[in-house]
Amino acid sequence: MKITIRAALLGLVFAVLAATAAHAASDALKGMIYDTGPLKATDSKLKVRVGEQAPDFTLKSVSGKMVSLSDYKGKSNVVISFIPAAWTPVCSDQWPGYALAQDVFKKNDAVVLGISTDNIPTLYAWTSQMNGVWFPVLSDFWPHGEVARKYGVLRSDGTADRTILIVDKKGRIRYIGLHSINTRPPLEEIIKELERIR
Amino acid sequence: MRRTFTAGLGMLSLLLVLFAAPLGAQDSREEHLRALNSLSLYTPEGAGERHYLGLKNAPEKITLGQIDAEVLIVEIFSMYCPHCQRHAPDAEKLYRALDSREEFRNKIKMIGIGIGNSPYEVGLFREKYALSFPLFDDRSSTVVGSLSGIYTPHYFGLKMKDGSIREIFYSKSGAFPDAEAFLEMIVEESGIQRGGNS
Repeated sequence: MKITIRAALLGLVFAVLAATAAHAASDALKGMIYDTGPLKATDSKLKVRVGEQAPDFTLKSVSGKMVSLSDYKGKSNVVISFIPAAWTPVCSDQWPGYALAQDVFKKNDAVVLGISTDNIPTLYAWTSQMNGVWFPVLSDFWPHGEVARKYGVLRSDGTADRTILIVDKKGRIRYIGLHSINTRPPLEEIIKELERIR
Repeated sequence: MRRTFTAGLGMLSLLLVLFAAPLGAQDSREEHLRALNSLSLYTPEGAGERHYLGLKNAPEKITLGQIDAEVLIVEIFSMYCPHCQRHAPDAEKLYRALDSREEFRNKIKMIGIGIGNSPYEVGLFREKYALSFPLFDDRSSTVVGSLSGIYTPHYFGLKMKDGSIREIFYSKSGAFPDAEAFLEMIVEESGIQRGGNS
């Protein structure tokens, strides 16, 4: 009984702490974001390194088209953006920023491939709510997290770690940024790396 | 020992519930007033912005109270927020409407603060929407850490006196539909005197 009371009290403490976490979410997603509270910063072990050939993959996009990394070989640099989950605080204000920076990515001969382990209907609803994005949004839902696992960014709960990889036109990995799941990677970090390889 | 531990947890929970209870409009305004008065922001570098804000010889960082105005309109935005992106042209219209009204130009001033945004991200937002009012960044994450319970874009109407913010007379999340009507509302609610050139 005592243990039950203590467990309930502890649960209450954590619930209140989670509810009071500071945020400034977009009005576009007001009332729709599931607050996960602070999570373990990273929970995966990278299987790729800078300088290696990026493992190829083919995933279905929200538009229904199948997209492969190799589609861009010899044509564009590719910024692969793994995000943990749709409808969560940090992820929901990461890709709209990349949407705004379309011209900057274009200037650096780069496309963005957004990848999440969510399913297509979820990603469709989520990206529609953010007014859509110009780049392909790919679902790594089934086999669950196969691409995230291949790159070594799959977390133990089936989501992906917040990771940015930059792949050049030859298909080589030029940059890997494994970021805390609780924070948004600064845009300038990505742009600076793109400018270096241009 | 066990009883003490359980009682301690109970007290902690009670305190957390008391302090984390949803704030009423008046309570949150008082909390936001304290937060806004304590903010220390990096002074914009542009000579035009410094001149407009009366910060010609200001140090590297300022408080909002140092801005030379009777009334200050503050838009809290984020480059990553889709509604802020869509609303940006209207924010510029508001500034231009204000600038065209000689009777208010020197009394009512307007700034934007990019909550959680780096200087690069704020610069990109300014450039993308050709914004001409001063924008502050949040490179130290002090704004995101101190303004809770708001959604972007959020507008504050502040009455200024003797080097500090005296009162928040307007505070609302979400975009306004009409810049001229919004300016009229600010004039009315602030109680600022009409007429005169300075």
